[in-house]
Amino acid sequence: MKFRKALEPSVNASAGTSKRPRLKASGNLCLGFSGGLGSSILLDIVHNTYFSSRPPLDDSGKPRGGTNHPRNASVWPSCSVCYVEVCGAFAGMRDQTEDIRSVIQRYPSFDFVPLRIEDAFDDSWWTMVSGSSSIPQISLELGKEGLIADGLYVASRVTGLTPVEALRSYLSSLPTQTAISSAVQNLTRVLILYTAYSRGSSHLLFGTSLTSLSISLLSSISQGGGYAIHEELQEEWAPVTATGSRLSGALRVVRPLGDVTAKECAVYAWWSDIAVVGRDKQRRAILGIAGLTKDFVVGLEKDYPSTVSTIARTCEKLEPKDAPSGQCRLCQRPMQSGIQEWKGRISIRSFSDDKLAADLTHLPSSSRDSLDTNSTPSELPPSLALTNFLCYSCHTTLTSRSSRGLKRSVPDVSSAAPLPTWVADRGGGLNKVPEEEMHDIVAEFLIDN
Amino acid sequence: MAPTSCSLCRDAKAILKRPKTGQQICKDCFFFVFETEVHHTITEAELFKSGDRVAIGASGGKGKTTAVIWPDMLIVLMADSTVLAYVMKTLNDRYNYGLELFLLSIDEGITGYRDDSLETVKRNQQQYDMPLKILSYDELYGWTMDAIVEQIGKKNNCTFCGVFRRQALDRGANSLNVDHIVTGHNADDIAETVLMNIMRGDIARLGRCTLICTQGEDTIKRSKPFKYAYEKEIVMYAYFKKLDYFSTECIYSPDAYRGHARTFLKDLEAARPSAIIDIIHSGEAFEVKEEIKAAQKAQQTCKRCGYMSSNDLCKACTLLEGLERGMASSVITDRARKKMDAMGPTPENLRTIPLFRSTPTITVEMPSQS
Repeated sequence: MKFRKALEPSVNASAGTSKRPRLKASGNLCLGFSGGLGSSILLDIVHNTYFSSRPPLDDSGKPRGGTNHPRNASVWPSCSVCYVEVCGAFAGMRDQTEDIRSVIQRYPSFDFVPLRIEDAFDDSWWTMVSGSSSIPQISLELGKEGLIADGLYVASRVTGLTPVEALRSYLSSLPTQTAISSAVQNLTRVLILYTAYSRGSSHLLFGTSLTSLSISLLSSISQGGGYAIHEELQEEWAPVTATGSRLSGALRVVRPLGDVTAKECAVYAWWSDIAVVGRDKQRRAILGIAGLTKDFVVGLEKDYPSTVSTIARTCEKLEPKDAPSGQCRLCQRPMQSGIQEWKGRISIRSFSDDKLAADLTHLPSSSRDSLDTNSTPSELPPSLALTNFLCYSCHTTLTSRSSRGLKRSVPDVSSAAPLPTWVADRGGGLNKVPEEEMHDIVAEFLIDN
Repeated sequence: MAPTSCSLCRDAKAILKRPKTGQQICKDCFFFVFETEVHHTITEAELFKSGDRVAIGASGGKGKTTAVIWPDMLIVLMADSTVLAYVMKTLNDRYNYGLELFLLSIDEGITGYRDDSLETVKRNQQQYDMPLKILSYDELYGWTMDAIVEQIGKKNNCTFCGVFRRQALDRGANSLNVDHIVTGHNADDIAETVLMNIMRGDIARLGRCTLICTQGEDTIKRSKPFKYAYEKEIVMYAYFKKLDYFSTECIYSPDAYRGHARTFLKDLEAARPSAIIDIIHSGEAFEVKEEIKAAQKAQQTCKRCGYMSSNDLCKACTLLEGLERGMASSVITDRARKKMDAMGPTPENLRTIPLFRSTPTITVEMPSQS
């Protein structure tokens, strides 16, 4: 009941006027599958609720009344199950794709779509899901410590790495374990989003339980993701073109187990005899803030059992303060304006800022005399900097350092950090905008002769 | 290994790593960026106007007090408030804010915790050359925290202390006829409060806890100039300004839930120092939905003492009535309040809080001219 109550109000494209409208989605269904408890249950419930009941057949073996009869019409024409294998990100991790395949084979109505996390750096995957032509790989300049430079400047040289090498180079250039964990999660999410969209899906479901949802909400807030808190609960997503316009047919991302606690999921799985593949323990060790949040919430739940539901209920009552200024190039979520100005205002990181000129007169004369306000690198043209195209959370992921330094598990394979293909496709304003699109933008200002 | 040069002035030797940015900088640059960032916080938010009378709240923590020893005298204050007083005075002189500054301290009546410190606060007014006002719970409510804890025990005593302190600060500021109270709440405090309010579902407080300046209908403006200053940097500032400091915990502070939140925040900070500022950014980026705001209780004034309240009686009057009737432990929640109402009308001879804005003028101690 909780599952249907959470999912079905968002199935139809528009609410309509009927109190009990017939459920009919505008596209296919896609399930994000991790092999964990929530997604295993989601798979089972979706199958039993929407795909297992066969319509009555006539003598010729066809559905009685024809396939267009309302009784025989499915809510979604088809369902695909996307799994992203992350072993490419971590040396020594076991590939679980075949284990997952064997689980999904139990549900013959579902199509299995195996993905690999390194696909995010694979031109052929991008061509397949976006229909775009081949694009050059772009990279970010690394600073002297091998970490991504604060300015997030696009490096001039093309790296030419294999997808796995590019992935590992990207992850190894991230400054903290939290950033690595967050990057893996984002890559996984965006891979599934694009894949689901390319398969004509109108709905993408994740098996996030109430417990996992509360943990991810708190973790996201702790990483500066407050502006996109609504997207953490439920989102409507469509790819954005180089000109910033969204493609038609938004994909609804729903978490229908968002009212069911992890304990309830475990009981359901046990009673229903659902096999859970589980996730590799090695991945658990690098979780950073996400792992700390999980430990904290699960620990607090023992003494304060209502905490988990309170976090989710509180976040449901929030909305972003301002209208978005665009979509983040990296995580593809709405982006707030004025992020860099805010960061610059609350912490002084360089004396070269013009706004500081008047304040610098209050520096002790010994320091002021030796001051060279031009000693910091001059800013590159905006077209070569990615900073202004990232949301607060992604910018922080790439630039926020640990006080203890990074424990490197992957050796550097490049002096630049490659970026996922979807960033390259719109990378930092580097793309040439097609003439037709340019015309559309300026059309109302053109005078016909 | 060659000494690292300051990453800001690039000349002097770096002697510290800024907790907020991770940059290695020299002492002079640290003082400069710390003070200038506070100045920017004040000016961006347009907190003050020339001629404003501003009280610096020399109390206001969550059971946490840091004592500070100046070179030749002992000053026990919240370290945040001590540094705040110092920085406010410095910036007021440097940038000609034109503010009239006062020190305002609240005596909660906790033996061994606050009594000694108040003597040193009095000496502190001379150090800063600011008038000082001390208002006690005993004077205002007729109860000290010692007496409250004696009646209710340690459980929930932070609720009494927090509610009483907030109103006491407002009333103290009112008697000083100031326009503004500034408190030493720092970035760690605000991040912790954001997390706390999310975890306990306090939507009303979540909506306003990241605001730099709050003002009730009938109260004086309250601001947090250290909103973006890390606690570690405040202590660092006190340390490099040749102040020794030591910490002591309030003897009645068993707020376990806040303790969990604080520990969690420290873990987050250890994993990624920017977590504190990231949480504040999150808190500033969202707001409570309009339909939820509309359903919240409208602000009114307390029928008994005239202080702002969302019910007929303000929280302080409710708690005081519970104490006076010997039912203090049953007035923490609205439901318990109804239960107390059901047990009979309020006795006529009940001790109450003086009417707000009609408190008798209390003498303000001026620094001696010697």
